[in-house]
Amino acid sequence: MDGIELEILWSNLIGIVSEQAKALQRIAFSPIVREAGDLASGLFDAQGRMVAQANTGTPGHINSLAAAGKTLAGLFHNQLVPGDIIITNDPWMSAGHFFDITVLAPIFWDERLIGYIGSTIHHTDIGGYGIGAGARDIHEEGLWIPPSKFYEAAEPNPVLHDIIRHNVRTPDHVFGDLAAQVSSGRAGGERLIALCKRAGLRDIETLSEEIISRSEAATRRAIRALPAGTWHGESRFDVPGGDVIELKTAVTVDNVAGDVVIDFTGSSGASPLGINVVMNYTHAYSTFAVRSCLNPEQPNNYGSLAPIRVTAPKGCIVNAAYPSPLNARHVVGMFVPMPILKALYQILPERVLAEGSGAVWTVQIQGKYANGEAFTSSMFNYSGGMGARANKPGPSATCYPTGVAAVPVEILEAAMPIVFDRRELRRGSGGEGRSRGGDGQVIGFHMRTDQPWLLNAVPSRLDRGPDGLDGGAPGAGGHFLVNGKPVSEARKMTMQPGDVVLLETPGGGGYGRA
Amino acid sequence: MTYSLAVDIGGTFTDVVLRSADGSLYVDKTLTTHHDLLEAFFRGVNLVLRKADVRPEQVEGVVVHATTIVTNALIERKGFPTALVATKGFGDVLAIRNEHRYEMYDPQIEFAPPLISRELTFELDERVLADGSVLRRVNPAEVEALTEWLKASGVVSAAICLLNSFRNPENERAVAAALAERLPELYISLSSSVAPQIREYPRTSTTAINAYAMPITEPYLRGLEEGLHEARIPNRPLIMLSSGGIIGAGVAARNPVRMIESGPAAGALAASWYAQRLKLDRLLSFDMGGTTAKACLIENRKPLVTGSFEIDRMYRFYEGSGMPVTVPCIDMIEIGAGGGSIASVDDLGLLKVGPRSAGSNPGPACYGLGGTNATVTDADLVLGLLDANNFLGGDMQLDVRAAYTAMERVAKTLDATPVQTADGIFRIVAETMAGAARAHLTDRGIDHRGLALLAFGGAGPVHACAVGSLLGSTAVIFPPQASVLSAFGTLVTPVRLDLVRSALGNLESLAWDDVGRLLGEMVDEAHAALAQAGCERDSVRLTFGADLRYFGQQNELGITFAHDPRKDRDTSAIRRVFEAAYLAQYGVTPSHVPLEIVSWRLTAQGPEITVEGGMQRATSPGAPKLYRKVLLWPSEEDVPVYDRVALAIGQQIAGPAIIEERETTIVLPPNWDAVVNELACIVATERG
Repeated sequence: MDGIELEILWSNLIGIVSEQAKALQRIAFSPIVREAGDLASGLFDAQGRMVAQANTGTPGHINSLAAAGKTLAGLFHNQLVPGDIIITNDPWMSAGHFFDITVLAPIFWDERLIGYIGSTIHHTDIGGYGIGAGARDIHEEGLWIPPSKFYEAAEPNPVLHDIIRHNVRTPDHVFGDLAAQVSSGRAGGERLIALCKRAGLRDIETLSEEIISRSEAATRRAIRALPAGTWHGESRFDVPGGDVIELKTAVTVDNVAGDVVIDFTGSSGASPLGINVVMNYTHAYSTFAVRSCLNPEQPNNYGSLAPIRVTAPKGCIVNAAYPSPLNARHVVGMFVPMPILKALYQILPERVLAEGSGAVWTVQIQGKYANGEAFTSSMFNYSGGMGARANKPGPSATCYPTGVAAVPVEILEAAMPIVFDRRELRRGSGGEGRSRGGDGQVIGFHMRTDQPWLLNAVPSRLDRGPDGLDGGAPGAGGHFLVNGKPVSEARKMTMQPGDVVLLETPGGGGYGRA
Repeated sequence: MTYSLAVDIGGTFTDVVLRSADGSLYVDKTLTTHHDLLEAFFRGVNLVLRKADVRPEQVEGVVVHATTIVTNALIERKGFPTALVATKGFGDVLAIRNEHRYEMYDPQIEFAPPLISRELTFELDERVLADGSVLRRVNPAEVEALTEWLKASGVVSAAICLLNSFRNPENERAVAAALAERLPELYISLSSSVAPQIREYPRTSTTAINAYAMPITEPYLRGLEEGLHEARIPNRPLIMLSSGGIIGAGVAARNPVRMIESGPAAGALAASWYAQRLKLDRLLSFDMGGTTAKACLIENRKPLVTGSFEIDRMYRFYEGSGMPVTVPCIDMIEIGAGGGSIASVDDLGLLKVGPRSAGSNPGPACYGLGGTNATVTDADLVLGLLDANNFLGGDMQLDVRAAYTAMERVAKTLDATPVQTADGIFRIVAETMAGAARAHLTDRGIDHRGLALLAFGGAGPVHACAVGSLLGSTAVIFPPQASVLSAFGTLVTPVRLDLVRSALGNLESLAWDDVGRLLGEMVDEAHAALAQAGCERDSVRLTFGADLRYFGQQNELGITFAHDPRKDRDTSAIRRVFEAAYLAQYGVTPSHVPLEIVSWRLTAQGPEITVEGGMQRATSPGAPKLYRKVLLWPSEEDVPVYDRVALAIGQQIAGPAIIEERETTIVLPPNWDAVVNELACIVATERG
């Protein structure tokens, strides 16, 4: 296939999944999907290899979906008929916690299976503990949906529908979002068949092979341009409750084969909190870190991910084992790129960035309106500063490796009796350097209520700030204060009516000597 | 005989259309004069009046104006010192944005610096709560300090955007009143009047843009009025708005943020005028120029209007990389592919077109202005679609050799011939356009198949049939005034203003008295504005609408009511209209979920305007002026080339054929047929 024909077909495949992702995002009830684009949509060939992914979404989801598609296609090999829809939220097979439900729609052209459209989105509820890291094991975290058929030959699976309906707190929203996933899978399938007809293709096997092999070859070519050897990087950060987590990586470049192996041996062991990360998610953020420095302009697919392998000792914090709780896995997961970037700094200094604040700080509030009615807010989040780049400062109040949007103050104030006292940049919190780290921000709020209320806040890096790079100074650590006093608490806190909360998110690390 | 004038100032050309009461049209084009836009305005007007042999005094109809002045001011950022007045503790709202990182994979992305810096931001210790109650009033001593600070900083214009002012503008108005008294020369933009909508960042951004543009736009519009007076044109100018509305210069001068997309909006209105004439409920307007292409859906013969958009996207047209604006605007997509888009081969050996553009300077290699990159226009020339000797009616000679050389370089990396490469560029451009259109339409719940295209812009007619073929379009229509379509659009549109106000409320427990008051204020504002634009109160038609969502959702869906909702206060009727619209867009209705109203909309429109189209003068079918080799299609035979002006109404042309105009070229592929219809449109259809 020549570079013209392939460009046309390939961009069409990406177009198909991107359209479906946009449709999902607009229709979703789940606030984090709408606001933060916390979803992924991908197209897979008949073997379950991801051929194209939507250009929206977060890395944790996108690359996890790639793994999920392969696993599910294997599990259901030769057992699918037209109209079937596969579902699972198994954390080890998909995106690392129960909230993320993956739906995979086989595409049958007449009776032939030519591929799959898959999506993962973060749902509003999955029963169990709810949002937060406080569950003691995975079973407390909610409903576990093993890989199964959500629809069988276009008929809903009644038992499974019933089980889900009875085990989540917001069944209307969950089913609304599942319906959107199913319909986007079907619509994407129709579009793929229409494309095949237009292009005179009988299936996408040749096309898929071409895309995957070219992508793999290009990634290997980029790796071969690097010096061979093993580079080390480590990152330390504290999590809610005060525990310090350490992630250690050895990044080995084999510039003959064009492979990169990332090994997390030496990293912290399992946490009793729900912040443990499954291998799929660790893999997702590791490949993200490498590819965003190596060849960010190339589309993500099975081929471009294949040359990067990730290993970690079984049961450690980045290769969680059953029954470790996983709910707030982003708290650790979003730090996964940091030690890798430090290792890559030694061979790609112009492409990496210094450590940033890491995980976004999330907040959820439960309380009562003036009329006595109870409310639970949606989860909202705030970023610290991004790390500096070799020749550019780090953006302020912007997070990396995700890039989620924050909910406006006015929207939050309209939804619950919260009053924000301030939300401004935390000047000087970014580390000094030839390029400065981005500033964090200061957010202060209190509740207009005469009742106690519950605060579920997940800050990180309260102990010390992100490291600088190449002689750059570290960013300032974060502060989480209630009535002016520092707090370190991993679980929901009961608050008094007059309590005042202050969040100071960390600044990013600087790059180079100032 | 009375006449009306339309002037559209674009980045490159200033287009002028003169319409007589009997419907005949005279058009002219002149180069835009960037140092003083009004110079080209009046030069063009004089040219067209002379051409038509019309005295200025005879221009008694209307003078409508679309202009790029606001966009230029924002992109160049060479405006006057502008200040932001914010609630204490929230002065960084423009720097914090919405925190979103618009491109996930590129760790090197950047954000444009805030339009108003922190140094020019002043915080006031005041506070309005979400329910509209005032927690802290504006402190007069602080306003004194603000006044002194504004004076000392040499600020010319101020944006005042306080928290929750969309709910209760009291504090904002108090500041404005005090400043107006103390600093009568200061331009003031209030967020509660400019963009009274919830969400502090987009509201502040919109207000800041308005404030920034005011000191540039107000004198400009005043100069325009004076210029018309001096030119003895007995008329006050009307200004085209981004929403497709038209309003008096006075209102426009206070709301320059509403003029940002006035040119493209006018183009969309022309498209909807054709949709009406051609009895097409849906139409996709397709305007492809030098650096970008724009597409806009005409639905039920009207352009779709959106409540928010972005200006000055700094990164590959990515959503999120520009400044948000929340005023009504024609809902269109801008695609980073135009005649100047550069072709290259990436690491994977794929041929890519755009988003880098050679612009108009140096421009495509064939312009001979020093450009060496192979562009879309170079590909069109190599393929024989363009005539090197007849570009812009022969005013600009194209260099075929240079185009070929540029193409050869790309071809080498691709291991293809220059002609194969040009052919690939042509096809990829069509795919890019079709892909963007599909995404835009899918996002709005609309099936792209079977939509007719209306093609204009310098490069649009060259590529339109290829795009239409990919989209399964029923027809591709080439209107006669293609080169001045935006100016034409302003002349077929009645005076109109669109207003929107946020007022969050549960539909079931709506406080109708508050709603009545709010809508009453909007109606008064609209009537006052339309009266200024010369509309009799009785001639003004009001249309009410609202944006709603299911409780718990973030995105609203706009609906339009058949009647004034204040009359029967029928919430179940509102619910029915919303659910029908939701079902149409998303294919599902979670009907047990409560509904929330986010904002109310009002459209006030003046009397309809009747215009006759058509400019075709030839009476007998025109013959091809020559035959030329076209390399896009396999056939060996030379392709007939027609002059558009020589074609007669009713004339049929079978593809392949080329039809040339002064500013563009229509490419009719082999399996297409075209006919010149009674409106002088060339309507092309693909054979079954």
